[in-house]
Amino acid sequence: MIDETKPTLILEHVTKRFGEFTAVNDLSVQVRPGRVFGLIGPNGAGKTTTIRMIVNITIPDSGRIELFGQPMETSLQDRIGYLPEERGLYRKMKVGEQLRFFAELKNLSGREADKRIDAWLKKLELSSWKDKRAKDLSKGMQQKVQFIASVIHEPDLLILDEPFSGLDPVSVDLMKETILEQKTSGKTIILSTHQMEIAEKLCDDICMINKSRKVFDGHLREVRRSFAQNVVALRTEGADGLLDDPELITNVRQNGDDTEVLLTADASPQILLKRLVDANVKITKFELVEPTLHDIFVAKVKESA
Amino acid sequence: MNKFFAVVKREYVQRVRTRFFVVATILGPLVSIGFTVVPALMIGLKTGAPPRIAIVDQTGNMYERVASEISDNEERPQTATPTMTPPGAAGARERAQQTAKMVKPDYALERVDLNGRTLDEVKASLDRRVASRDLDAYLILPPNLLNGGEPEYHARNTADMITKEQLQRSISQAVRSQRLVENGIDERRLDELSKPIHLKARGVGGEESKGEVGFFLVFGAAMLIYMSVLLYGQVVLGAVIEEKETRIAEILFSSMRSFPLMMGKLIGVSLVALTQLGIWAVTFVAVSAWAAGISSSIPHISPFIFIYFAVFFLMGFFIYATVYAVVGSMVTTTQEGGQLAMPVVLFLVAALFVSFNIIRSPNSPLAFWASMFPFFAPITMLVRVVTETPPLWQILLSLGIGIATAVGLIWLASRIYRVGMLMTGKKATLPEVWRWVRQE
Repeated sequence: MIDETKPTLILEHVTKRFGEFTAVNDLSVQVRPGRVFGLIGPNGAGKTTTIRMIVNITIPDSGRIELFGQPMETSLQDRIGYLPEERGLYRKMKVGEQLRFFAELKNLSGREADKRIDAWLKKLELSSWKDKRAKDLSKGMQQKVQFIASVIHEPDLLILDEPFSGLDPVSVDLMKETILEQKTSGKTIILSTHQMEIAEKLCDDICMINKSRKVFDGHLREVRRSFAQNVVALRTEGADGLLDDPELITNVRQNGDDTEVLLTADASPQILLKRLVDANVKITKFELVEPTLHDIFVAKVKESA
Repeated sequence: MNKFFAVVKREYVQRVRTRFFVVATILGPLVSIGFTVVPALMIGLKTGAPPRIAIVDQTGNMYERVASEISDNEERPQTATPTMTPPGAAGARERAQQTAKMVKPDYALERVDLNGRTLDEVKASLDRRVASRDLDAYLILPPNLLNGGEPEYHARNTADMITKEQLQRSISQAVRSQRLVENGIDERRLDELSKPIHLKARGVGGEESKGEVGFFLVFGAAMLIYMSVLLYGQVVLGAVIEEKETRIAEILFSSMRSFPLMMGKLIGVSLVALTQLGIWAVTFVAVSAWAAGISSSIPHISPFIFIYFAVFFLMGFFIYATVYAVVGSMVTTTQEGGQLAMPVVLFLVAALFVSFNIIRSPNSPLAFWASMFPFFAPITMLVRVVTETPPLWQILLSLGIGIATAVGLIWLASRIYRVGMLMTGKKATLPEVWRWVRQE
């Protein structure tokens, strides 16, 4: 059973070096049970190395990893489901047999595996492909099969590394839905991605890393609130001159049809609105914008630099 | 353990089920039959009508003997040459001799007398007949045949070694018999008197020596190891590289440690190899039993030797197969792997050469050390076992070293493989590999 009060996963001052290169530097993080935890950062930030240490493929040079309340060890691997970013299938092996093999590697009995395989293939609309060889499947279908391989043994911790890359929009939605179902059924999920928009929609907690170091972590909603910048999205006619005031506005950028305006710390949206109204500007849109993860990330990276 | 068996099962089932395996299993024996039986059959093929040979007998009394020797082609005991020609040593001449013995062509013989004509006239007329294909060849027996006169053989096809050998032997035989008769020696009595003895070699314990049979057993073991390593080494290599190429390695390592994975792969592929070899062996035994009757075709060897044969064959196979596993863990494509593994296979050839020396002095220090060196031991220790069986502790030590080497190599391979996988994509240099091995 999952203890709701204790973290599923604890990383304490974890560091991993490859020769001269430090891939992960002094990373401390906690993942709480039953939540979707986003590991976010640009390519090469150290996400995959971190995950490989969590699934016990590599061992940290220093620091400590604790999973399900125990120090990391091989037997815990059976309770983890892992969809790596570098993923593949045996090309000449039939889909059904392949899934059965991966299930056996997680100590699942053959009969139980067969039952679950049929259910999962049906759910992801792959039933008719069960006896086809992997090489005959499209890339998207292969990816679904790989996903099934990572959940077939009903792991307590599911780690998905860039699960949406290469999927068509319909499949992306199906995958999101499936991930949220896993969360509902009590699984803890670590989602690693560089696509901030996806992380924003799925994650409860996030940890951002950049250049092998943690930039910040926490509850996504709180992070956003604490980061509430005064950003206003505008759609106006004839406001050009008004937005040049440095006392009021620090930055202006164009986002599609919208003009996004970043206000100074002292200013408030009310003042801006009043100015616009006073100047008889025609306003078709005036909206307070929540900061995106992207904004937060960029700001935090600048801050820590 | 379950995971290990899952890997073994996958490697085995996926390979045995392929069309390639089925085809190779069926074609293997057919090809080897093709290389051994068919040439023999082809030489023995009757090429139409028997060769027509005219014999010009100038001695006046030799025709009957020569003709009967030629048509009655049977061996006489005292002329039997050693039946076992060392493999490879037989020159074209000897091979023709042997084949001539094996094949029994018929000849259509014809007696030609001079009848007052000169020899040249007769020759000219025979030459015309040969040219007009009325005749294939003719023999001229000179008047002084018994005293060193050389017979002549004229034929359209002088390249026909087999016929030439046969005629030469027949004439010698006839001349010899005639000389004996003329010197008043009873031919049959001479046959009895000159009966050869057979040197029965016995070990000091009194048991009959298995030396000769043993040599062929060792040679067979060496060939078997060599062939199976060449055939299946590539398969091992491919199996190790497969997960790298398909990028499955990471999923596997998130489920199990690399040593049982490597071991499982090796055992799985080896079982495939043994299945195929087993099918071939059973087929071979069945066919030869059917062809010759089992008692005569299989020499009597103690069952212990067969057990040693099996044990050392397995050890040899595993040691060399693990070499391919190590190589596979370092490279990214099968092609470069094959090139890298080749020099190691040369050890097998070296072992065979060393074993020629060991056969003569099976208890020399060289023999001892060669049978402890794991890459030689499968062959050299087997040589010692069949020649002058060494103390049991030496056999066990040699086996122990061999097994330890194989396991050590698998450990090395799994180590290199795991670390190498994390550095995806590029070919490793040797210093890098060394660092990986030491790295935790």
